[in-house]
Amino acid sequence: MDEFYQTLYITFKLAFLTTFFLFFIGLPVAYFLAYSRFKLKPVLEAIVSLPLVLPPTVLGFYLLLVFSPDSFLGSFVEKYLGLKLIFSFEGLVVASIIYSLPFMVHPIQSGFSSVPKSIIEAAYTLGKSKLETLFKVILPNIKSSILTGLVLTFAHTIGEFGVVLMIGGSIPGETKVASIAIYEEVESLNYQQAHKYAFVLLLITFFVLLVVYTVNRNFLKADKL
Amino acid sequence: MIEIDIEKKLFSHTGEMNLKIKTSAKKGDFVTVFGESGAGKTTFLRILAGLEKPDEGYIKVDNQVWFDSTAKINLPPQKRKIGFVFQDYALFPNMTVEENILFAMEKKDKKFLENLLELIDLKALKNRKPQTLSGGQKQRVALARAIARKPEILLLDEPLSALDIKTRHILQEEIANIHKQFKLTTFLVSHDYSEIFKLSNKVIYIKNGKILKEGSPEEVFLENRISGKVKFTGEVLSIKKEDIVYVLTVAVGNNIIRVIATEEEIKNIKIGDKLLIAVKAFNPIIFKINS
Amino acid sequence: MNKLKGTIKHIQSAENISIVDVEIDNQNFRAIVLETPETSSYLKEGNQVFILFKETEVSIGKIIKGEISLSNRIKCRIKKIKKGKILTELKLLFNNTYITSIITTASAERLNLKEGEKVEAFIKANEVSIMEIVDG
Repeated sequence: MDEFYQTLYITFKLAFLTTFFLFFIGLPVAYFLAYSRFKLKPVLEAIVSLPLVLPPTVLGFYLLLVFSPDSFLGSFVEKYLGLKLIFSFEGLVVASIIYSLPFMVHPIQSGFSSVPKSIIEAAYTLGKSKLETLFKVILPNIKSSILTGLVLTFAHTIGEFGVVLMIGGSIPGETKVASIAIYEEVESLNYQQAHKYAFVLLLITFFVLLVVYTVNRNFLKADKL
Repeated sequence: MIEIDIEKKLFSHTGEMNLKIKTSAKKGDFVTVFGESGAGKTTFLRILAGLEKPDEGYIKVDNQVWFDSTAKINLPPQKRKIGFVFQDYALFPNMTVEENILFAMEKKDKKFLENLLELIDLKALKNRKPQTLSGGQKQRVALARAIARKPEILLLDEPLSALDIKTRHILQEEIANIHKQFKLTTFLVSHDYSEIFKLSNKVIYIKNGKILKEGSPEEVFLENRISGKVKFTGEVLSIKKEDIVYVLTVAVGNNIIRVIATEEEIKNIKIGDKLLIAVKAFNPIIFKINS
Repeated sequence: MNKLKGTIKHIQSAENISIVDVEIDNQNFRAIVLETPETSSYLKEGNQVFILFKETEVSIGKIIKGEISLSNRIKCRIKKIKKGKILTELKLLFNNTYITSIITTASAERLNLKEGEKVEAFIKANEVSIMEIVDG
C-alpha cells in the first residue's frame, strides 16, 4: 500500500479503536464520578482531567518510562501478554486511551449529572434495578452527551501529536499517523504531500462534525424534558 | 396496617432539624401530610419510599419490616410495594405515554394497560412523548405509571400544586377514584384545604419535623370551635356586590353554593380563599330524595 | 356577621342541647346550641366567648306590645340607615355596643325607620352561635 493511504489508515484505525475502548472505560468512570459520594472522588476527577492541562510531551515522557521494557509494567505486559507497548501500534492505542480519557468522560459525566434525579428515583420506585435504570432510562436520555464524548475522543485522537510521537516514534506502516506525517513532510519541504494529508484530515473531520451536530440537534430535542 | 416510628437529622439552609415522626395508618386510609415548606413532609414521604434512610427507628407494613435500624434492615425502594408520584412528574422523556406505563409493570399486562388508559383518560395520548403534554396530562401519566405496578401504598408529593384549579379538581376526583378502586393506602403531601377535606380521612400536621396535630381533617383544622353543626369548607370562586350585600360563590366539594355576606365580612376575603361556612343545626331545611 | 364578646352567665342543658345565656354590655343574649359543656369545653359559666349571628336574622320592631316567643329582645337606637333597592342595613346601638341588622327595604319603609329612632331588635335564640375565644 502507498504510504499515504497506509498512514491515513493507521490514523483512523487508531482513532476508531481508541474511541471504541474508551467508551467502555469512560462510561463506568463517568457514572462513578457523577453519582458516587466517595470521599476521594476529587482525586479521581483530578487524575481524569490531567491530560487536559498537561503538555502532551510530559504525558508522553512518563508513559515512555512506564511502558519501557525496563519498567515493571512494561516488562509485565511484555512477558505475560506478549505486547510491546513502546514503538508499537498497541502501545499507541493504550497511550491514546489515557490521553483522551477526559474527552470521553467529561461529556458523559455532565450528561449523567443533567438527568433529573427524580426520573432515576422514579425508576427505582417502579422496581427497576440500577443497571436496568442505567440502560433503559439514563442512557437513552443522554444520547447527545454520549455522541459528543465519542466524537470528541475520535477527533482528539486524530489530532494527537506529542504523545504519539514519543510513544510511537513514527514508524511508517506501524505507528506513523497523519499529524506526524504532515510535520515530517513540511520539515523536508515537501509541501504538496503535506497538503494532501492536511486537506484529507480537514475534510473528513469537518464532515464527521457536521454529521454529529445534525444528529445531535435531533437528540437534544428528544432529550428535553 | 402501617406503623412508622422514625428519626432523621436533616440539614437545610435554615439549619439543622430533627425529623421525628411516629404514626400509623390503617389499610385504606388516605393520609394527608400537611405543614409549612421545610417542615419535613417530602423527606417523610421519601423515607417511606426508601429513597432516604432514617437514622433510627422502624417502618412496618402489615407484618413486613421495611426498615429497622436495630436489625439493620432497609429494604430498597425496588422491594417496597409503593407507587410514588413526584412533584415534577418525573416521566421518562425517552418513552411514550404507553411505554412509560408499560415500563412500570413487572409483567407486561396489555389488558391492565388498556384499563388504566381508559380509567385515567389517556387513550388519546398513549403514543405521545411526555414533553408534548400539558401539566395536567403529565400528572395523569405519572399517576397511571405509579399504579401500573399495583402498589399497596401510593405516595403523592404535592402532585397537583402546579396545576390550575379546574385541572386540579378533575385530578382530585381521579385520585379519589384510584384510591378506592385499587384499595390503596395513600399518603399525600398537600397545602390545599379543600383538597385535604375532599380526599383524606386523616391528617398529619408536621411542624419543624414533629407532629403538631394528628386526626381527621375536622379535628386538625376546625377544632370544633364554633357551635354551628353544619359546616363546609370551600374555596371562593367569585364575590359579587348585589344591592347592599355581597353574594359569595363558593366551591364546596363538588357543589357550588352561594352565600350572602356583608361588606364587613368580605373585607379580608378574596377569590381563591378557603372558607369555613357554618350553619346552625336548627336552620337547614330537610328533604328526602326519592329515587 | 355580628360578633360580640361576652361572658357566659348560665347554661341549661338537656341531653344534647343547651341554652346558654351570655351577658354582653349589660344585655343578656340567649343562644340555643347543639352542644353541651361535656362536648365543648368552652361552654362553662364565667367563660368569655363570642356570640355570632347573621345580620339578616335580626328583626326590627317598633312599639311592640304583648308577648312574643323570641328570647332576645334588645332595645336600641338606630344610628345609621343604608338603603338599597331590596335590602336595607341598619346600624343599631345598645348601651355602648353596635349590632347590624339587614331587613327588606319594603319593611324599613313600612316601619318608617329613621336615624336616631328607638327600636327593638329581635333575634331568635336558635340563630345565635357561640364561638370559643382562642388567644392569638
